[in-house]
Amino acid sequence: MKKKYHDGNIAAAFMLFPSLVLLIVTSIYPFFWLFRYVCYDYNGFAAYFTRTYNFTRMLSDTTFWWSVVHTFEYAGLKLVIIIPLSLLIAVLLNQGMRGTHTFQTIFFMPTVISAAIYSLIFSFIFAVFNGPLNVALQSIGAIKTPVDWLGNAKIVMYSIIIVAVWGGLGNYMIYFISGLTSVPDEVYESCRIDGANAFQTFFRITLPMMSPILKVILMLAITTAFKDYESIIVLTNGAPNNRSHVMFSYIYNLIFASSTTPQIGYATMLSIVAALIIGIVTALYLFFARKLDNVV
Amino acid sequence: MVKSHAVLSGKDKVIRCIIFVCLTLFSLLMLYPVVYIIMGSFKENAELLLGGTHILPRHFVLENYVQAWKAANFARYTFNSIYISVGVMLLSIFATSMAGYVFARKQFPFKELLYSLYIAFMFVNVGSVTLRPLFELAVKVKMNTSLLSVIFISAGTGQATYMFLARGFVQSIPKEIDEAAKIDGCSFFQIYYRILLPLLQPIIATIGVLSFRGGWNEYIMPLVFTMSNDKLRPLTVGVVMLKGSGDGTAAWNIMFAGATISIVPIILIYIFSTKHFMNGMIAGAVKG
Repeated sequence: MKKKYHDGNIAAAFMLFPSLVLLIVTSIYPFFWLFRYVCYDYNGFAAYFTRTYNFTRMLSDTTFWWSVVHTFEYAGLKLVIIIPLSLLIAVLLNQGMRGTHTFQTIFFMPTVISAAIYSLIFSFIFAVFNGPLNVALQSIGAIKTPVDWLGNAKIVMYSIIIVAVWGGLGNYMIYFISGLTSVPDEVYESCRIDGANAFQTFFRITLPMMSPILKVILMLAITTAFKDYESIIVLTNGAPNNRSHVMFSYIYNLIFASSTTPQIGYATMLSIVAALIIGIVTALYLFFARKLDNVV
Repeated sequence: MVKSHAVLSGKDKVIRCIIFVCLTLFSLLMLYPVVYIIMGSFKENAELLLGGTHILPRHFVLENYVQAWKAANFARYTFNSIYISVGVMLLSIFATSMAGYVFARKQFPFKELLYSLYIAFMFVNVGSVTLRPLFELAVKVKMNTSLLSVIFISAGTGQATYMFLARGFVQSIPKEIDEAAKIDGCSFFQIYYRILLPLLQPIIATIGVLSFRGGWNEYIMPLVFTMSNDKLRPLTVGVVMLKGSGDGTAAWNIMFAGATISIVPIILIYIFSTKHFMNGMIAGAVKG
């Protein structure tokens, strides 16, 4: 009996092994590698020790700090639009109407497409000269001259948000629908008997009852919004004049842009700062979510 | 889901009608980019460049696909995409179903610590900079000239969610089944292989479609790994690469065809396994 148990341990170790190797090689090792070149000027071939230069350079790097501002702008705008919109759609789809399944399937579809590919598609739709969006808006008279959706510094962030909302909406809709179905039907039944209207039911009953899952969804939404950059790389790659750079797209260009020498040491410095910023935002959110819990 | 079919008043009916129309209009907006690119891939380049809101092509041509397939190397890209996604799928199923089983059924020291390590690294995100050490490592072990490194990294960075799914599913299977098998002489591995694996099929299907999608849609990572090696590029990289190339507008039709080749298979898979995609997303979010 004892031997059998022992056998199981060895088997378990072997079975855990592939996943553990993946974790160590693809997640843990690169993370600790980051700290190796923080104080170096490293171009991929040779590394020079530069003491605190990377840090002082970061402090005076306005492009980076603007990209931090843009990250907050992007995340804030995306959340403000995508969360209420997906919640609204989830509530509408939870009424047991005809066609619910078809609508769900359509709204969720963008999430299975590569962000790189749908961003490319949107860059066609946003085309200045006779792009579908410009033509459509001109024909209904909303705009007089074609708009440069991705080239105009004032508009570019909104265009990126449109793409992000299109691509991410389905995810949050599905999360909300699963949250809504966790509220038992009897609760709604008794609300109706008490004479509550749709809005009262939603704000007084549905939302509070969903609050645990709502917190998880918001947490996911915040962390994803802060680390999005793939779509920006394809759509604008920071253009015009760095107006659309978020932290990670700026860092990506420091290492992998083909036109300049890679500045890997400096990029690791910025990556650590970016990760810290996201960590602080997440911690603040968790803190306030708990505070809110005590109040309600 | 069976909802009560109560008799609706006239006012309710009108409201429902309005909601239905709004949702229909909205879903047309959501569908537009996809329909636009698929229909556009059958247009002539001249018509594409002319732009406008016409969805249907004036002349229906297959020329774009022929060009993309032959001249622009898309046959190679498509093969690479399939190779990567199937590889990621198999590796993910293999690694995470076993790890999920061990985490669900075995007690060992530092188990919770190890488990939280998986969660922690799912949330710690330092962006693309981690691709640099991985690339250097791949060069060192001479894996930078094969797509195996891409498969390995994609499976590794996505595995946490799948492992939670597998673990949760194993936990939902009564332990008595294990014990019965043990009495019948099954070892720890045999319980997994003979007894649980057949029962795990639904969750393996979910992990399969989600990881296949993950591999198929990977962009930044294969871009970095195939920077100097055109032959290894998957569809996502190959198509988007055309945007930056000097040809510019001349390659629009090829980009349309390429984008269509890239999105249609995954949409078809999605339509036939909608449930797996949606349930996987929900379970992953709630448990993770």
